[in-house]
Amino acid sequence: MLENIPLNDILKILLVLVLVTSALVLWQRSLTSLFKTYALQSLLVALVALAFFIHDSHLTLLFIALLTLFGKVFLIPRILNRILFQMNIRRDLEFRFLYPVSSLIVSILLVFGVYQVFSSLLGEVMPERLFTLGAVIGVSMALMGMMVIFSRKKMLTKIVGYLSMENGAILFGLFVAELPFILEILVLIDLVILVLLLTVLAFGIDSTIEDFHPRFTPLGEWFKKK
Amino acid sequence: MENLILLAYILPSLILGGGLLGLRLVRGSLSPKMLAGFSLGHGLWHLGLSLWVLLALPLPHYFMESRYLFIDRLGIFQVLIASAVFILAALYSRGYVSHLIANKELDTENLPVFYLGFNLLLSVITFAFFANNLALFWLFLELSTLFSALLIATLNARDNLVAALKYIFIASTAMIFAFIGLIILFSLTRQVSGTGTLNWDELAGLAPLLSPSVLGLSALLILTGLLAKSGLVPLHNWLPAAYAKAPSVVTALMSATVLNIGIVGILRLSALLRQSQIGETFSNVLIGLGILSIGVAAFSMLSRRNLKKLIGFSSIEHMGIMLLAIGIGTPLAVFWMLFHTLAHSLVKSGLFFSAGIIRRQYGSDRFDRIFDIFRLQPVAAWGVIIGSAAITGMPLFPVFLSELNILIQLGGISVWLVLAVLFCLLLVASSFATFLLKAFTRSEQTADRPVFRTPLSMKLPVYVIMAGVVVLGVFQPPVLADFLSQIVKGLGF
Repeated sequence: MLENIPLNDILKILLVLVLVTSALVLWQRSLTSLFKTYALQSLLVALVALAFFIHDSHLTLLFIALLTLFGKVFLIPRILNRILFQMNIRRDLEFRFLYPVSSLIVSILLVFGVYQVFSSLLGEVMPERLFTLGAVIGVSMALMGMMVIFSRKKMLTKIVGYLSMENGAILFGLFVAELPFILEILVLIDLVILVLLLTVLAFGIDSTIEDFHPRFTPLGEWFKKK
Repeated sequence: MENLILLAYILPSLILGGGLLGLRLVRGSLSPKMLAGFSLGHGLWHLGLSLWVLLALPLPHYFMESRYLFIDRLGIFQVLIASAVFILAALYSRGYVSHLIANKELDTENLPVFYLGFNLLLSVITFAFFANNLALFWLFLELSTLFSALLIATLNARDNLVAALKYIFIASTAMIFAFIGLIILFSLTRQVSGTGTLNWDELAGLAPLLSPSVLGLSALLILTGLLAKSGLVPLHNWLPAAYAKAPSVVTALMSATVLNIGIVGILRLSALLRQSQIGETFSNVLIGLGILSIGVAAFSMLSRRNLKKLIGFSSIEHMGIMLLAIGIGTPLAVFWMLFHTLAHSLVKSGLFFSAGIIRRQYGSDRFDRIFDIFRLQPVAAWGVIIGSAAITGMPLFPVFLSELNILIQLGGISVWLVLAVLFCLLLVASSFATFLLKAFTRSEQTADRPVFRTPLSMKLPVYVIMAGVVVLGVFQPPVLADFLSQIVKGLGF
């Protein structure tokens, strides 16, 4: 059945869905749903990579899909959920500068702005329209993730904003030019370490526990004498 | 076989990581002094290895088939600076960290994390300087952010967490844009060469063939990440907060080495873009951002009450001067920019070491908490005075030479710009002078303040740096001048 649907259409649907998840990241207040949205967004990015693999048969693309699936759909949301479980917060209700409605309006303007710049500039690099669209959505996602970092107060929300930015960069990479595989792995490792460190630090900031010394528990405990 | 050289560079960090892991299994532990001693050994090993590389290997030297890593003169020069500062910082940490623990500012169980991060930071910095591939360079830059933030956050204060998170968010967010820039650059080179590359040496050959507008977009995005890493305006916000809160031993290492990675990246990028059609535009952007950084830093320093913040803003100013020199782009400007890097790294680490002693004595480095400093902490007082004189570019100090020569080169572009920069430098000098006059002329009526007995391990680095700075100000070894000239030539300026 799949062969009846052209790859372009599948990619377009996936791109629209990815953009919707980015909007949801901007919108949501519940932290657990936020993590689920991020996992879904990563799954869509993995599917984009898989769609490219089916088309190109480049093994790198398959590995990227698998890495994204393992790292961002399962591992990172799990780390985030574990930290959330230990904290006493469930929702992020505080906004700065931009509230959800205004941030969505800004996002729409961003997408158009990026499209304007890219369709004139990147036309030289990518003659195909779909690829320009993918690149535009990738960069717009990165910018929307940045808006989450600036407009939300809770660290865990900011972390999801950063992760969403990174998904945007990977999506951009998939549509423009995939980097050598070894670099993709290294970037993922970097991301996992970054999330680990950020969540541990966020635990110290966001937790309602008065004494924030145990924030290093996952790291400090590790070396502690039993 | 050659890859053993690379292994030798990370060997100490691996030994430390493995050792700490082993100790965890047998439930043993290491004292702060042993960990500091190990770090000192690491620094010496690192310095020795780098000197051997410099003398024995024909440079540039490439590793692996993909040539992802290389050692060139610029890289080894920066690594030598990093090793020297690391040795002094490790020595300094012997007394400093023990006191942090005694003062309950650092938990004993976080000590292995602290020293592991400290040692790994040197390895990461080294590999960032040795990265021939831009994507690997990006990765090591990211890792340097991580380890620096980890070191900032190990102290037991909520402010430290805030500062560390601010640093990670600003630097990493900017680095994502750099990553997008890298991907554009890669696809651009793929159009020209077929396979695509991000290796500095291959990019230099391809630069004239690349489309100027897309190359400009990619360069701007990459520059965004590098600006954040070097603490340059408009992405400098993390720097004063992080420097004010981080332990002095960490700030010394960060300001003397981590900031340099970003500026070296900009230098290589600028050398590359000079070969393309957008070279001149890019240089003008650098000059503009350089002057903006100097200006913002100079005006922000006017009302600083906190010594470490003052020194932090001074880092932004000096990074601005280096950026300005790269923008001017004449061989002489780049030569003096490299000399400035060396001078700045030395003086800045000395200033932070002295500030650390002051903080140990008074529990703060605000000017209104400092009393009777010449009686209580004469070494720190002279360290700050000589350091301030050196960093503000007084004659007989190395920064004077580099600033003077960079300004002369700037004169070739516009006399008005020279006047604007001179005015800012004057503001900076007056900020330092005001702070010193306010802080160092106060005395207390009660003489029963407990005196912090500064251990020799904390005083020695300050002595060494003070002596080194004075010597470098009056005598520049011809070997150094030759070496710097070769770097400038190698870069194609």
